[in-house]
Amino acid sequence: MISLIRKYGSVLRISLQQSIYYRASFLMDRARTITIVFAFYAFWSTLFQGRSQLAGYSISQMFTYVLGMNILRSLIFSDKTWEILREINTGRISYYLIRPISYIGYCSARDLADKIIHLFSAFLEVWIAVSLFNIPLYLPKSPVTLLAFLLSAVLAMILYFLMSYAVSALAFWTAESGGPRFCFELFLEFAAGAFFPLDVLPASLKSIFEFLPFASLLYFPLNIFLERASPAALLSGFLNQILWIAILSFVTRSLWKRGLKAYCSEGG
Amino acid sequence: MEAVRDLSFQIGKGELVGFLGPNGAGKTTTLKLLSGLLYPTAGSLSILGHVPFKRETEFLKKFSMVMGQRTQLWWDLPARETFRLNQKIYEIPDPVFRKRESELIELLELEPLVNLPVKKLSLGERMKAELACALLHEPEVLLLDEPTLGLDLVMQKKLRHFIAEYNRRTQSTILLTSHNMNDVQELCKRVMIIDEGQLIYDGDFDRIIQHFAPDKVVAISSSQPIPMETLKDLGQILSHNGASAKMEVPRQSVSRVLEQLFKRIPLLDLTVEELPIEEIVRRVFLRTRSQSQSQKNLFAPGEWEIQEQEKKGMRERPLPEP
Repeated sequence: MISLIRKYGSVLRISLQQSIYYRASFLMDRARTITIVFAFYAFWSTLFQGRSQLAGYSISQMFTYVLGMNILRSLIFSDKTWEILREINTGRISYYLIRPISYIGYCSARDLADKIIHLFSAFLEVWIAVSLFNIPLYLPKSPVTLLAFLLSAVLAMILYFLMSYAVSALAFWTAESGGPRFCFELFLEFAAGAFFPLDVLPASLKSIFEFLPFASLLYFPLNIFLERASPAALLSGFLNQILWIAILSFVTRSLWKRGLKAYCSEGG
Repeated sequence: MEAVRDLSFQIGKGELVGFLGPNGAGKTTTLKLLSGLLYPTAGSLSILGHVPFKRETEFLKKFSMVMGQRTQLWWDLPARETFRLNQKIYEIPDPVFRKRESELIELLELEPLVNLPVKKLSLGERMKAELACALLHEPEVLLLDEPTLGLDLVMQKKLRHFIAEYNRRTQSTILLTSHNMNDVQELCKRVMIIDEGQLIYDGDFDRIIQHFAPDKVVAISSSQPIPMETLKDLGQILSHNGASAKMEVPRQSVSRVLEQLFKRIPLLDLTVEELPIEEIVRRVFLRTRSQSQSQKNLFAPGEWEIQEQEKKGMRERPLPEP
């Protein structure tokens, strides 16, 4: 156990060093997310003018949604799975397969490093924005809410990892897995509720999106935090997360098993 | 598609074996099979009693592979950081790690280099760091795929020297592939040659040169045009281009030919080289095909067994008389 922690802790450490090495690209990435947050802040402030509620959200709830989305994105969507595509296509993955380390464990540790750095800076950004514009925030009244929120966020992290790990496996069969991956990310952001709460959509569309695994990544945890989920919605939300984790574990596992078999370490 | 078939060999503990063959012969495929990166569709193989593609931790800890064209070092960070990562991956205790690390750094003259980002290193420097990284856990079995590819002569020599020393010191078993005849010549007593996925020679290196490369290549250049007639009786002319020429000369008459050349031609430059490895392999292959079936078993017995046989019938493969 201790040696396992040391092993993957070491991967975490070297990944953090690597991230620090790429400061510029990290800062650009953050600049992008800050821009998105400010754009949404401006957008919703305009819409809320003269109203106290919109799409069932109070003004403080809506702003908490937008800012909370920034933090949750950093926690859940931060990953290095683009690296997996590169490692498979260049054959570098061979070096992980011949060392006594599990590749999925290695990828998780590397992702964790990314999440730590992004989460830290997302908190900083939200804190600056809140104190600068005096944005009203909605804070949960019950500690149980916080607990449920944390649980759903952890499940969301696992779910997202499984999804992107499955998409990465496409690299075993094609050198052009970057395209599907890009589409996946675009659809993901939209369907997860990263651009707006799904309540804005027509009811029929909303129920489809709520069933898909994407909604349980951002929309569901944020709704718990805002105490907008009824006990029934809470239960079905958690069941949905667990169901998709089970399905994707199976899919990801078999995709990787097949992928590794098909793999002939490209590049000679 | 079959990349290798009917390939069977054993390698004993502590042996340093050269693995030769032209591009696409199946060398890399064999290494991938041995390292567990490929699943064999038929046949069996075992290293140190393990089946490689099961990727058991105990096996992986005793094994290492260096691929000349790839790196396991983290590109943007100093090599030392990857060393430390490997320490944890292979679970090497601190004191042992420190001792081995400083030994390797000293032997490979890596001192200031391990603290620089890997991408700032030259190809040769990187290769040295690569080797050090792969040897930190002191593997019992080491596969080297083209370790000297793209390196200058000085660096090639240093690496060869290091590999030979390492083999002597740790009694590790090393299998080395190369296009570079000098690598094999200086390092390996035993050599295996593979072509079109089949083992066509397995035996002493000295014998392969005597038997399959009886000639050397003599290249000359002169201060004035060399008439063809001057060379005709000395050997088989491979190329002739005004004031320079290349010819193939039987090994035993090289000194006589050189003497004649000095007498006949005002020489500017002269080199005597081995035939290119591809050429030797080609000849070995031709010879194998024309030879009658020989049942001679060339395999040396050893602890390390690697066997791969096609399911249907364990056919004896014709091997050249060494």
